[in-house]
Amino acid sequence: MMEIHIAGLGLTVGNKAILDNIDLEFSPGVVNVILGPNGAGKSTLLRLLGLLDRPGSGEIYFDDRAASSMSAAERTALRRRCGFVFQAPLLLAASVEANLRYGARLRSLGVSDEAVRQVLGATGLAGKEGQEARLLSGGEKQRLQLARVLLLDPDLYLLDEPTANLDPLSVKNIEAAIARLAREGKTVVLATHNLTQARLLAGKIVFLQAGRLLQAGAAADVLRHPLSLDIAEFSAAENIIPGTLFRRDDSAMLDCGPLAIEVVSERTSGRAAAVIRPEDILVSLEPITSSARNSFRGTVLAVSDLGAVMTIHVDCVGIAFTVFVTRISCSQMGLAVGSGVVLTFKATSVLLLPLD
Amino acid sequence: MSYILDGLRQGAALLLPPGREILQIIVLSLAVSGAATLIATLAAIPAALFLALKEFRGKRLVVGLVNTAMAVPAVLIGLLVYGLVSRRGPLGALGLLFTPGAMVLAQALLAFPLMTALALAALKGVAREARDLALSLGADRRQLAVAVIRQGRFAFLTAIIAGFSRVIGETGMTLMVGGNIKGQTRVLTTAISLETMKGNFEIGIALGIVLLLAALAINIGLQLAQGK
Repeated sequence: MMEIHIAGLGLTVGNKAILDNIDLEFSPGVVNVILGPNGAGKSTLLRLLGLLDRPGSGEIYFDDRAASSMSAAERTALRRRCGFVFQAPLLLAASVEANLRYGARLRSLGVSDEAVRQVLGATGLAGKEGQEARLLSGGEKQRLQLARVLLLDPDLYLLDEPTANLDPLSVKNIEAAIARLAREGKTVVLATHNLTQARLLAGKIVFLQAGRLLQAGAAADVLRHPLSLDIAEFSAAENIIPGTLFRRDDSAMLDCGPLAIEVVSERTSGRAAAVIRPEDILVSLEPITSSARNSFRGTVLAVSDLGAVMTIHVDCVGIAFTVFVTRISCSQMGLAVGSGVVLTFKATSVLLLPLD
Repeated sequence: MSYILDGLRQGAALLLPPGREILQIIVLSLAVSGAATLIATLAAIPAALFLALKEFRGKRLVVGLVNTAMAVPAVLIGLLVYGLVSRRGPLGALGLLFTPGAMVLAQALLAFPLMTALALAALKGVAREARDLALSLGADRRQLAVAVIRQGRFAFLTAIIAGFSRVIGETGMTLMVGGNIKGQTRVLTTAISLETMKGNFEIGIALGIVLLLAALAINIGLQLAQGK
């Protein structure tokens, strides 16, 4: 267990700011997810946390100890409390077991055969001890990296896309293992661009883009109330409609071209984007009377099956909406491509993000 | 054509068994080039490791200079070393000119950029990954050095083979600073050049065979050391 506090952290390579003035906190007990597109600086941030590189500016505090004031021996001691899983597996040209014990050997930790057997089992590598690590499959290599770290039982886990190469079943197992580590009180920082994984695991989400921290907070807050269009696009890729704000009577409206959406906004001018979550839109065959202020007629463009939930794509005079409907509702209403429908949502369901 | 075959036959006869003079030439060649390669290795390996692992301002320029230095003709290095060790030069007081010492110095200077560049090229990726792996698992300084050098050992052996091969076959520069003095600074290449010009074709061939065998033996030895 380890508290991490980051202040003004920056790293510039050449003229490019890889990380720009990052302030953050990571606590034990929940999975801290660093979310962001490729090139956001996620891996760089993890490397700085693992003391593999030095920042250009700013400071990282590990339990209130500033990293920059540590001696070489103290930095080594701190690294020995960390477990790093690299995005591209780094393994010795040796057997699986030799790789597994490498970290323990460097840290002079005695590791019982029983412990080795246990982590191999937990990562689905039982029986592979004697195999040449380089000959493992991509997914097995990644699991071996995780096994190597689990064996060390560190206080801080730094995981860089630990499930990127894995098959769905392995992903599920590894995700369960990661969630368990956090529950056991470890500090877990996981970098991913996988939104589903973030939704599933994250207690805290940190959103990075192009080296800048765009938003950090409890996962539910970040996903529900993204602070910028970039995060919204990344985390709720559906129903982002740009337009211009104007006032009609006592209401704020967003002029989106063919239709105007009523929103809740202090501002009544300027550019903005409306973000409407698919589950917040009501689908009906006829107009309904309700308190919801927005209601548009449209035509079903496509129906796709996601299991329990169906995704309906609806065209409303040139603007495409995505809506979630349960399978039962879908069949009861007889929704199919070409069906005429009415979409209804409340003004308060519209998240408004300024564009200028 | 027959005089070439005669030369080969006579050359082989001179080596079975080799006379004292030829033996002396062989030993001096191996000693000078071995010492030069050793010195160049001791400088080139840390230099290559540094360039592979450290990011710093002007790194590209330094790597570019090392690569350019590979193209510097040996005679220019000979000229430089001659200037340094001749009586009026800054190292003149050491009296190195026309001694094996001067030859070692020149050959080490010749091998250094080549070995650094080759080791660096082979280390790229390998060294960084070994560093990341060892550091992330908690290696201290000594363990880190061991891990990176172990990972880079093939890179270093390749560079050593290339460096030794380069210097043992060098003639003009070695002649300039060594002087090809019989019994003192005469090595295989300078002897071959001299004997051939004197018309002693068979001695030239005999020494040529030795040069090839020596290079072959060293290469096989180092390959075996690589364990493959």
